[in-house]
Amino acid sequence: MIENLILFQIVVSLFLGGAILGLISRNSRFARPMIFIPSMIGSIFTIIFSVDVIMAKPLSWIIPNMLPFFNLEIFVDGISAFFMLMIGIVSFAVSLYSLGYSKEYETKKRISFFGFLFNTFILSMILVAGTNNGFFFLMFWELMSLTSFFLVIYDHDKEENVKSGMTYLVMTHFGTAFIFISFLLGYLQTGSFSFDSFRTSSPSFPHLIKDLIFVSAFVGFGTKAGIVPLHTWLPKAHPSAPSNVSALMSAVMIKMGIYGIIRTVFDFAGFGASPDYSWWGILMVIAGSASALIGILYAVVERDIKRTLAFSSIENIGIIILGLGLSIVFASYHLHALSILALVASMYHAINHAFFKGLLFMGAGSVVYATHTKDIEKLGGLVKQMPWTSMLFLIGAVSIAGLPPFNGFVSEWLGLQAILSSSQIPSTILQISIAFASLPFALTIGLAAATFVRLFAMTFLSKTRSMHILHIREVPRNMIAGMAILASVCILFGIVPFLGISLLSTAFHLTSQPTSPFDAITLKNNGTTSFANLSMPVVAIMLSAVALAVFGFIRVIGGKTTKTIYGTWDCGFGKLTERMEYTATSLSQPIRVVFKSLFKSHNEINTEFFVQTNPYLVKTMKFNSTTKNIFEENLYTPITSSTLFILDKIRKIQTGKINSYLLYIMLTIILLLIFVRLSHV
Amino acid sequence: MSNSLEIVIGVIQVLVLMALSPLMTGIMRKTKARTQKRMGASIFQPYYDMAKLMRKDEVVSDQSSWIFRCTPWVNFVAIGTAAFFIPVFLSHSPFGLVGDLLLIVGLFGLARFFTMLAGLDTSSTFGGIGSSREMMISTLLEPALFLAIFVVALTYGGTNLSTIIETASNSSLLPHPQLIFAAIAMFVIILGETGRLPFGNHATHLELTMVHEAMVLEYSGKSLALIEWSQSIKQIMLFALIANIFVPWGISSSISVSTLGFGLVTFIIKISAFAVFVAFLESSIAKWRLFRVPDLIAVAIASSLVGLVLYYL
Repeated sequence: MIENLILFQIVVSLFLGGAILGLISRNSRFARPMIFIPSMIGSIFTIIFSVDVIMAKPLSWIIPNMLPFFNLEIFVDGISAFFMLMIGIVSFAVSLYSLGYSKEYETKKRISFFGFLFNTFILSMILVAGTNNGFFFLMFWELMSLTSFFLVIYDHDKEENVKSGMTYLVMTHFGTAFIFISFLLGYLQTGSFSFDSFRTSSPSFPHLIKDLIFVSAFVGFGTKAGIVPLHTWLPKAHPSAPSNVSALMSAVMIKMGIYGIIRTVFDFAGFGASPDYSWWGILMVIAGSASALIGILYAVVERDIKRTLAFSSIENIGIIILGLGLSIVFASYHLHALSILALVASMYHAINHAFFKGLLFMGAGSVVYATHTKDIEKLGGLVKQMPWTSMLFLIGAVSIAGLPPFNGFVSEWLGLQAILSSSQIPSTILQISIAFASLPFALTIGLAAATFVRLFAMTFLSKTRSMHILHIREVPRNMIAGMAILASVCILFGIVPFLGISLLSTAFHLTSQPTSPFDAITLKNNGTTSFANLSMPVVAIMLSAVALAVFGFIRVIGGKTTKTIYGTWDCGFGKLTERMEYTATSLSQPIRVVFKSLFKSHNEINTEFFVQTNPYLVKTMKFNSTTKNIFEENLYTPITSSTLFILDKIRKIQTGKINSYLLYIMLTIILLLIFVRLSHV
Repeated sequence: MSNSLEIVIGVIQVLVLMALSPLMTGIMRKTKARTQKRMGASIFQPYYDMAKLMRKDEVVSDQSSWIFRCTPWVNFVAIGTAAFFIPVFLSHSPFGLVGDLLLIVGLFGLARFFTMLAGLDTSSTFGGIGSSREMMISTLLEPALFLAIFVVALTYGGTNLSTIIETASNSSLLPHPQLIFAAIAMFVIILGETGRLPFGNHATHLELTMVHEAMVLEYSGKSLALIEWSQSIKQIMLFALIANIFVPWGISSSISVSTLGFGLVTFIIKISAFAVFVAFLESSIAKWRLFRVPDLIAVAIASSLVGLVLYYL
């Protein structure tokens, strides 16, 4: 067994090497391999390293006085290693994919700068997960935010991308400020920024301080994770970034927010197993279910393929937060086993989401790569030209819709079971409110299926809606390989949940549930009867057995028949054209009507007549439907406009005359003198 | 030994469901015909239809892809697998260890996912309208269904169907009050899931009324037979669920020929009665406007929520 410190150093140096190679490569022929091969090898080592930590022992490494007064402390335990494993697998697939994908940028842009940012971004995420000191944590966190910001505005010739980059920059610093407050509170209590000191002394913090630490950490990390109403940057920034970067951001970067919340709550906010803390969990359950529902409701009406995926990330983060919240509620009532169930559900969903969202963003990237459009109204019919991409995208879509036998089903099943177990909480109000929280959760699952039916069908099925995509071709092989890796992980984690669950229970030191891959996940009642069982390997076997049986049966009964290819039935009126097809907007119209209060959708029909007086002879007809984002309109616009108003007023003191500045200085000195005098009384 | 016997009986239950499913469709059609003062076709007509369809050649749209072609199979496999978890005349099943009520919902979801895709795959506007409506209805049914399952699972201690049915058949005849509300919700859900009135109308091919029929309009031959068969299996499964959860009388809890035979007979009587009732109901109400359907689903949700509160109080 190699010492895991050496492995860690190899990981860091490979990504650093990739970053430097990227800078010196210029735009040579070898630029892409020079950038992405180090990151691929680095990702492999990240996987090896994290598995080693999970299976063997944690890594602790301190460089004293790396910066004056601050020791760089690296501490990788199971939880960190779990997130590193997630980063490793996704970034390996994304790097492989990028080898082909970034070819597009080679002629247009400085790919070397991209390579530098790409490698630094992955490295910063690994370091965020591994660092054990508040000061360095914030530094790496900031590095992660900034590199991702520059990657978001990489296509900066589009003004829209720069705008969304700015929203991202502002929101991410809003979050960082709250994380800083949280750490500062810990520092004021312990006199040190080291997480070790937080860990040891946090149980004795005053209750109010614990609550404050939790709330500010939740707001701070929640901004990064994209919890409603702090999500507003997410549907802007993720679609603006190049698709390989959006895959990384959506699959792993927002999980760093989840990591931060877990660290804070279970490690150094001094969480104690008493009902006093149950409101932390309730807050998270409410925030989680709201995010899930609102995220998916915006996803289902969205026209932009990447923005749909971004909204769906908000949904999935909501589900993860909901599970975490349940886990906290259970833990605060000493329901240890249930707390583990909810935690496993939540973390299993986190790693599943990393896989299928990475896959889907890469698939969306392939579509953009081939067609140069993100608008699903202009796509359609790609299944014939891009058979591999469409199949892999379908695997991702079925997984994210939570359907068996794929991985999304397993984690959502666990989540639903965790909600059902809320009946064991000894508080009627909590029981009923968590039961009511299952309503948005179940609705979310239904809407997710609708969203991905719509996204897949509009992008890949039926007739092509615009002419220029008739001549496109399938994407290069390494892009397909990158997607195929994550697709096979999705299937693997769906059919053999044992893998994921045992990984989780080892990483989080939980009492493991199944002991062999074929064991069912079993939840027991107090008595001997079983509450619920699920054995996915057997389900997979049964599915294939039924398939074989029915195939044989139909062949025997039906005999041999022929298939004739003929046009779609057009009621005898002649040729169906793509203009008669259902569009993405019309497909989601019923849902838009049902939830109209949220969308505030506004329809406008402009008709032009041949003769103004005769309404029967229509010349042209235009239909325009807009939906509004109520968060932007009712929350963010008032805040930004009032801030701008105040700043505008403050600006008036900047007269530009030296006399008035001298006056300000004098006034300040007088005020300070008064302050000093008063404070000494 | 008893375990392998149980597996055999489990498989027989599935075969019973699959074999009886067209009969239920036939009974419902006959009932509807009789209430409308028509003679109607024989109750075995669906069997003849299916046998004929299986031997017919197919016409496949030139716009469609492999999604369209594999959907009937995915449909049948998903629903056929789900049938293994439904207790028919034996209250416990070895397959109870494999999956539960939520898995059944998931498998139905898988079938529906592919049906909606197939509806959109042919680029026919009928398929689009069907998928679009199905999207709305199924989305809204999901929370109603989960809440109804919630009430049942809490009352009978599990989502594992063997546990549910065993507890149900052992409990006293007086039903728990929350179960009545769950049963109301479940009834509405079954009407929605099977596309019965007032949600949809099986009997017409008018674009105003159709939901499921519109999605599968392009199918013919073997594929159509598979789709129709899996649809009727899904229907009989849902009937079996509501019958055995809320009226568990007669279901056998031990493996002996007499109790199993009695179980089978009572099962057939129960679901036939239920089918006749649903068909009567269909004859007496009209199709609702699509955007009134959410109101009905809201009734189901509210009813489940009342059931939940009753359970906890």
